[in-house]
Amino acid sequence: MEDYEVQFVDRSERSARFVVRPITPAFANGIRRAMIADVPTFSIDTVRFIENSSVMFDEQIGLRLGLVPLTTPPGEFERGDEVTLSLDVEGPETAYSGDLVSSDELVQPADENIPIIDLKEEQRLELEADAVLDVGKEHAKHQGGVAVSYRHLQAVEVVGDAGEFDDEEPEILRGVIEEQAADAAVETGGYEPENGQLVPTEAFEHDLTNRYPGKDVEVTDIDGAFVFDVETDGSFSVDELVVEAIGTIEDRATELKESIQL
Amino acid sequence: MSYKCSRCKRDVTLDEYGGVRCPYCGHRVLLKERSRDIKEVNVE
Amino acid sequence: MMVPVRCFTCGNVVGEHWEEFKHRTREAEDPEDPAEVLDELGVERHCCRRMLVSHKDLVDIVAPYQ
Repeated sequence: MEDYEVQFVDRSERSARFVVRPITPAFANGIRRAMIADVPTFSIDTVRFIENSSVMFDEQIGLRLGLVPLTTPPGEFERGDEVTLSLDVEGPETAYSGDLVSSDELVQPADENIPIIDLKEEQRLELEADAVLDVGKEHAKHQGGVAVSYRHLQAVEVVGDAGEFDDEEPEILRGVIEEQAADAAVETGGYEPENGQLVPTEAFEHDLTNRYPGKDVEVTDIDGAFVFDVETDGSFSVDELVVEAIGTIEDRATELKESIQL
Repeated sequence: MSYKCSRCKRDVTLDEYGGVRCPYCGHRVLLKERSRDIKEVNVE
Repeated sequence: MMVPVRCFTCGNVVGEHWEEFKHRTREAEDPEDPAEVLDELGVERHCCRRMLVSHKDLVDIVAPYQ
């Protein structure tokens, strides 16, 4: 089995940016798709309305509840498992996602300040909801990854000096570059010029002329190196999402291998 | 069938002879009350 | 009516930030610049930003007609 190198550019609970190499574009896309469609999360699927005298229809409130992210600890549940939640709010008050009471302490609303419905005097919302564990392939509300994307890691090559009488036009680039021309670079955004360092383009306001003043540059993709941008909806951390996504790819690969063996 | 008169807010029961009219105030606009049954909704 | 729970385009949860956004940009004594508030709330993409910037609460308006 091949070894992969993973370098983090940014890392926090709900979002991360990292470089993986060496992988093929097909595998990079496989990881992206697995993060979006194959990692299961809990989401409310069925709602039983006991009382709803609010200004919105049952179906509208049901839809809003379905979109509330619920924490899903990996490995604790199987696809198809159900958890019951209940909500009982009487006006005048706003019902928030945090008012949902779960029957399982592992499965809770990930965000507590999402307004569900504003209730006026004499209005009441009482309901019971079943959350089910399923994958993004079934319904977008089960997607754990939000705005998951990747692009090539790029290298900047200094090919000469900028012409003396050239217009000073910006050279816009977005993504992450691997420093390969430290001699011509200046320090920007706290990133000292050092060969081999990963520099997000935010560090020089996405303009290469800030980092390489007075130089003529060429940008090339680095083969087999991909920068992933991953965010989660709060169901789990980015680390868990990535590890689970890789796990689903591995499971499918094993299944394929077993099924074609003679 | 139970309704509520939109003018006098009283509960009204309709039979097949009286037509659509509130027996207390004669108003012809009746509102149907929400059923007390639990309604199950599938979130799509 | 009520603020959307998630961004229509990318699926990021935006409802979470609505009350703070509304308070800081409209209800506070010295309203802040919405762009700066969104930056601080971590609503970065313009698809998510438009969800909050263009939203109008309508519950108060329809409530009398129940």
